[in-house]
Amino acid sequence: MDPIVYVALGAALAAGIAGAASAFGVGIAGAAAAGAIAEDEKNFKNALILEGLPMTQSIYGLITLFLILLSAGIIGSGFKFSANTTQNIVKSAILFGAGLTVGLTGLSAIPQGIIASSGIGAVAKNPKTFTQSIIFAAMAETMAIFGLVGALIMIATGVGL
Amino acid sequence: MFKPVEMVKVNLLTLENYRDVLLTYLHEKGVVELREVSSGIDALEREVLDDVYRKASSYSISISRLADFLDRYRRRTKGGIKAVFFPREKSKKSYTYEGPQKLIEDVERFLAEAEPEIKELESRMGDLIAEIDRINVAIETLELLSNLDLDVHYMRSTRLLEITVGLVERQKFEPMVAELRQVTNDAVVATVRELEDRILTIVVVLKRDFDKVNPVLAKYSFEKIDIPEGRGTPAEVLEDYRRRLREKEEELKKAEEEAAELADRYYEDIVFYKELMENERDKGNALSMLRRTKFTLLLSGWVPKDELDEVIGGVKELTDGKVHVEVSEPSREEVEDVPIKLKNPKWLAPFEMITEMYGVPRYDEIDPTPIIAFTYSFFFGFMLTDFFYGLIVAIIAALLVMGHRKFQNGTYRFAYTLLWSSMFTMGMGILFGSYFGNAGDIVVRYLTGNPSFHFPRIADTLRDPIFVLELALAIGLAHLFTGYTIGFIVKLKNGDKKGAILDQLSWMLIILGVALLAVKMKTVGEGLFGVGIILFAVGEVVNNGGLAGLLIISDFFGFVGSWLSYARLMALALATSGIAMVVNILTQMVWGVSIGPIKLGILMGVIVFVGGQLFSTAINALGAFVHSLRLQYVEFFGTFYSGEGRQFKPFASRREVSEVRLNKEKLNGVAKSGSGSGSGSSVSVVVENGGA
Amino acid sequence: MGVAAISGILDTTVALVFTYIAYKTGAYIHKYTPYSYPNARIKAMEAKLFDEQRFNELAESGNLENFVASLEDTAYREYLTALGGDLTPWNIERALDEALADTYLLMAKIMPGRVRGFFKLLADRWDVKNIANVVKARTAGEDPERYIVEAGSLFGRVQAMAEAKTPEEMLVALEGTQYAEPYQRYLLGEISLAEFETELYRRYCGTLKDYVSSRKGDERVILEEFMRLRVERVNVLTILRAKRSGIPPEVIERFILPGGKLKLEPLINAEDLGMALAELDSTEYGKVIWEVRETVEKDLAVIEPVLSRYILRRMRDMERFYPLSVATAVAYTLEKEEEVRKLKAIAKLIHDGVEPDRIKELVSEAELVEEV
Repeated sequence: MDPIVYVALGAALAAGIAGAASAFGVGIAGAAAAGAIAEDEKNFKNALILEGLPMTQSIYGLITLFLILLSAGIIGSGFKFSANTTQNIVKSAILFGAGLTVGLTGLSAIPQGIIASSGIGAVAKNPKTFTQSIIFAAMAETMAIFGLVGALIMIATGVGL
Repeated sequence: MFKPVEMVKVNLLTLENYRDVLLTYLHEKGVVELREVSSGIDALEREVLDDVYRKASSYSISISRLADFLDRYRRRTKGGIKAVFFPREKSKKSYTYEGPQKLIEDVERFLAEAEPEIKELESRMGDLIAEIDRINVAIETLELLSNLDLDVHYMRSTRLLEITVGLVERQKFEPMVAELRQVTNDAVVATVRELEDRILTIVVVLKRDFDKVNPVLAKYSFEKIDIPEGRGTPAEVLEDYRRRLREKEEELKKAEEEAAELADRYYEDIVFYKELMENERDKGNALSMLRRTKFTLLLSGWVPKDELDEVIGGVKELTDGKVHVEVSEPSREEVEDVPIKLKNPKWLAPFEMITEMYGVPRYDEIDPTPIIAFTYSFFFGFMLTDFFYGLIVAIIAALLVMGHRKFQNGTYRFAYTLLWSSMFTMGMGILFGSYFGNAGDIVVRYLTGNPSFHFPRIADTLRDPIFVLELALAIGLAHLFTGYTIGFIVKLKNGDKKGAILDQLSWMLIILGVALLAVKMKTVGEGLFGVGIILFAVGEVVNNGGLAGLLIISDFFGFVGSWLSYARLMALALATSGIAMVVNILTQMVWGVSIGPIKLGILMGVIVFVGGQLFSTAINALGAFVHSLRLQYVEFFGTFYSGEGRQFKPFASRREVSEVRLNKEKLNGVAKSGSGSGSGSSVSVVVENGGA
Repeated sequence: MGVAAISGILDTTVALVFTYIAYKTGAYIHKYTPYSYPNARIKAMEAKLFDEQRFNELAESGNLENFVASLEDTAYREYLTALGGDLTPWNIERALDEALADTYLLMAKIMPGRVRGFFKLLADRWDVKNIANVVKARTAGEDPERYIVEAGSLFGRVQAMAEAKTPEEMLVALEGTQYAEPYQRYLLGEISLAEFETELYRRYCGTLKDYVSSRKGDERVILEEFMRLRVERVNVLTILRAKRSGIPPEVIERFILPGGKLKLEPLINAEDLGMALAELDSTEYGKVIWEVRETVEKDLAVIEPVLSRYILRRMRDMERFYPLSVATAVAYTLEKEEEVRKLKAIAKLIHDGVEPDRIKELVSEAELVEEV
């Protein structure tokens, strides 16, 4: 494949997979929020905050997309690796890998949505568990953060910004 | 700061007649957390719930039901956005308290006036609603029948004929009719009208055959329809019912008006009496904590040391000195039972909320609130890192702080922490030169015409993320080091030398070693790191024996995980500038759009910019809040804090719409008249200094 | 390595990783998403279950009018107002039963399609009860209308049975259901009334069991456990009661419901109640009844709440083990049943003029009489 394919795929997968996962996560938590509201409208505020948590992964995906495009020169001076040499392929493959890392770790949004969903249930039963539920949901995001850190190191040291 | 309020245990012994007076005084004072009196004396009986308190609890239920009803129809003043920021204080009505008996009488007098009126209206409305439901059901049935051009009169049974109208599933229709014919010897008439998947059927049989027909109908799941009253074709009857529905709805609306008027008249009083009754019920519930003999009463509880003198003084005055007070410092065994009231200067106190959400410290632990106040706000600021985002949050928070200061409630405390956090956000925004992301740069570049202008900054978050990452990890190391150091100090102070050195000092050395290695001081760093690791390994062996081998590995990587977790500082900072930049790029894209001479792009640009940046502020502030909290709770508290203390929950009245003045003379009069001959002046205050 | 080789390795890896992840993610979403809504809603409903204080307040009502009025701010309201002023413990009981049946139907509505049927079947429990009650009332020469609860999918037939004049007509109304055959046998005198009732429950259990066995994965595990516990509870109670009354083993066997895993032969063949209880000690119920082991020989009633609580505890355990699963709903229905049971008991005790304090005491250890 041409270098441009790798770079484009990397950027697309980072934002795409993470975004889709966030959508699933928010969707799952949203269903729970609807359930909690159906019984008692007072649950709205708590449910809303918990529902928003799985959104962050899509932001990480978006940032990675941007950094990949920046690193490959697509934003700015122009595409740097247009020549089909081994070195260019390796560099674009690194960018592809960085994108994939963030995309796949971004899948943590789905379990995060499930945790948030259970959390909404727990908070609907006992509002005092709100903080705990938030912290539990925030746990799942750690993997996405590690993914982002890994991707940053790959981009910054392997290709350069 | 750092230490919760000092508590002392108080035991009160007084005469039984003073019970209500004493309870009321302590309830209004709200500084004692009651404990069940513990003693091995058999002669002590549990206090029993007497009639007054039982009545109070039953009235509080019936009044709250009235309140719920009126609240539904109450006319509300719409406050809009102003009410969110500046809610009005509820006005308080005053009540002169002359003992529970008198209060119950007052409530009964009020209820005798208000309750029948409200109940009458409520049942009238209930009837109306039921009637409307009935009419609606009839209307539904009639709509089903409406394509039959047959007088409903003919759908009712007569003296000789039994007429049944109902629905049956399409495929069951034929066999049903066949079986009906069979059991009645063909003495059956069935008229039909087809609906979608069911068939509307009118079955006419002789009365004497009906017993045979009915089971058959059931067998084919024939769904009977009750024919509504009326004359004429279904369509005509339907018209009649619709008119009645409108009438009833009109009536209901009038009744709702009436309810609103009743609410105007009674709602405030009802809420007022409800609060009084609930407080009375609360006192009744506390009775089970007390012990008594025939004439004496024993009460025990925790009191903050600085309130002690006032409480004892008050109690002595109320009981004419007929009281014996015993005060003791918490002993070693009681450490877990001591209720915790956090004590911080006013400018820090709102941050206690964050500590309390996790769990208050034990009595012998340190209160981490002062540290958290800074680290929480700083992390929040680091993750939001934008001057204008900080400003938006600051404005909202400042308004809330101003509006809610008088309540000192949860909203106030949360807004106050947010205000601090927003200050740090603005500071970090200036440090990283971020003004709505790179919007500040773009605007200044456009205004000055200098294409390479940018605000002064220590680093560009997006161009140099590795620097931000290093910064985040360094901060994390410092944060963890603080935690382990506090743990070290607390454990030393509580005499747990082994734990202090093996569990805390080891990590402190490891962190110092890592830090020194990072700044290229190789030999010293390696030395400290090595010593730390050895201490840590020894600690694991001492604590866990055989499992140590496994736990050394898992705990060490647990530490590495905690440390790396601080990378979220960078990730969220990056997320903020990332989204801000995307919004800016979108704005730039639409800015130039114009249809003919109309520069539509500017309008669209403004909308995209304002909407986008507000969204970005909200979503990133949420992220910053959650993750800053997480870093405190999971990573920081993990190093030293248990949060297993019990929060101070004083025996206190709730006064939102009422205030109470104690009529001491009347109250004491009640007590005295019952006390018979005075048992002399037995004033004695014994202060014991226990262990701890 | 050449460009082509690198590309080849990369492409294959990517393809493999993607296939695996897509499969896993899909399975994960399929498993949990359908439970998200019902789980949160049920949790919110759990917040509304009555607590100790509420029951105490109800116990204080004094008369049935106040009792009903105290329930006005709850979901029971519509069922109780439908009674009009006709407040007898039995009417209230029927109204509460209807509320309970509707709880099952609500579960059936919000749960994912793959377990929906289970809750419909739970509501069908009243079919069995109604049919048995109608037949019993007829035999006793009473008006059957008073003994039926408006619930269950065969309610129309039950009503026709209650209206029917002759047993033959009642049979016609039942025709086409699985309950027609036992009724026929009862009419022919082949089985006794008690055996007829057991047979109804046996068939009902069979339907439930067939449904449960046709489920897959976690749902099957949870529902099977639930079924097993319920059936075993009934069987254990039947046997112990029979033992107390000295009924011979071969008769007891006729009243045993199928579906439990507990080995019942030693229990059935035990010499007396004491021996049966000793046999029970070596099973999983040994620990369960431990706390009432001393009193149980004197008063069998204490064992029922203990067993019920054990089922609830097991379901709560399952809920922890399988979060976002059918266990939440099952546990909720159990708690709701408990609540309804207590309310019925309170209504009855109030009607009998029992002192509030005594009611509180009795209700906290309410005698729980319930079939599967």
